[in-house]
Amino acid sequence: MQRYLSYAGVFATLVLLQIFLIDNITLSVYFHPLVYAAFIILLPLDTKPVWVLLLSAAMGLTIDVLTGMGGLNVIAATAAGFMRPLIVTLTCGRASGPDDAVPALYRLTQKNLAWYMAGMILLHSSIYFLLESLSLRHLPHALLRLALSDIATAVFVWYFIKLFIEKILNK
Amino acid sequence: MYKLIEFIRRIYVVLLFIVIEAIALNYYAHSSYYTQAKILSHANRVTGGVQSAIFGVRHYFTLRHENELLSERIADLEMELAVYREQVAAAGIDSLQPHIDELSQYRYTTARIVSNSIARDRNYITLNRGIMHGVTENMAVISPDGVMVGYVIGCSERYSVVMPLLNIDFRTSGKIAGDDHFGSISWGGGSPYKMEMTELSKYADIEVGDEVVSSGLSHYFPEGVKIGYVESYSLNDTQTAYDVVIRLAADVTKISNVIVIENLDYGEVSHLEDSATGGAAAAQ
Repeated sequence: MQRYLSYAGVFATLVLLQIFLIDNITLSVYFHPLVYAAFIILLPLDTKPVWVLLLSAAMGLTIDVLTGMGGLNVIAATAAGFMRPLIVTLTCGRASGPDDAVPALYRLTQKNLAWYMAGMILLHSSIYFLLESLSLRHLPHALLRLALSDIATAVFVWYFIKLFIEKILNK
Repeated sequence: MYKLIEFIRRIYVVLLFIVIEAIALNYYAHSSYYTQAKILSHANRVTGGVQSAIFGVRHYFTLRHENELLSERIADLEMELAVYREQVAAAGIDSLQPHIDELSQYRYTTARIVSNSIARDRNYITLNRGIMHGVTENMAVISPDGVMVGYVIGCSERYSVVMPLLNIDFRTSGKIAGDDHFGSISWGGGSPYKMEMTELSKYADIEVGDEVVSSGLSHYFPEGVKIGYVESYSLNDTQTAYDVVIRLAADVTKISNVIVIENLDYGEVSHLEDSATGGAAAAQ
């Protein structure tokens, strides 16, 4: 039960962070971290795919409703949730373990965790930015925006994972 | 049924993903005019490409049928064309009628060539008109555009045989149009496009390219029927007359319809000439 409450807290925290903090930081048009993706990344690896899919869609829907993005976050988050099992297999292989295994430093090597996180962030943000622009006319600018935003997202997610694992799950 | 349920149970995550994405995409596409225009544009491009590919495949399989339709259409048009050609040929013949009617001494009828030889020294043409159509021996034959072809030398009930220009036994009288000097026209064999006119007076007014016509002295042909054009000429060995090479106006190798002309006075003139010749001989 505590575990569910923890994830509910993570869900709420990430939503609030995205809406009230990240979206209000206007450093540059090339800086738009999508930190709520950390929720999908942090879900236990043994979570059934259908629950990953539904929780991802719920996260995207919440962001969309609160920001008025019209379904864009649902599309990106649901796609990331759907593809997560494949990305886990590709980046972590057997190292992730079959049981209740959170991809954390104590279960995965840092290298595997980094690849898994990068894959998820890249997939999620690529779909998001591509659908947001709906054009490949300004591809260099789009790639620069993708790169800068993904770096910022990755840094955030990396430390958020450490915080979640070490402070909340007391591992 | 069980297999269907099992199949759906196995792929329900994928189906759920597709449903959610479809709903979200639809919602996003209609969330603003920009997304609506952009997504619809892309969607149209994709569906257009798919439809084009499907149409291409479908069109490929209908090519055989279309080919048959085209062949039938070509056959119909060929038939129509043949009718028009016959009408044009008939019109060409009809246009000559007033000219012939002016020659009250002559009566005409039309005929179609059913056989024509050009490769021999003595060539003949067979017409699909005979005695039952009013065709008799010694009637003149000209082409629909009024050019000399030959004269009838034999008839059956339904057919007749013509000695054309391209026969070494053919003889007729001709002259340069606009000049009264006449000569004897014959074909020496060889080219089917050339004839010779001999015994043309050296006082005749002749130039290369002049038109050569019938003189009206041969009883077969009315005066002025076109024969050909002067290609070259020279004085004969005795320097008393011209030998003229004539380029034929009628291409006998490709004539299909002709006009047969009857000289209504031919019998009377021939009879008179025969009796006069006979009387003179008796007097001698």
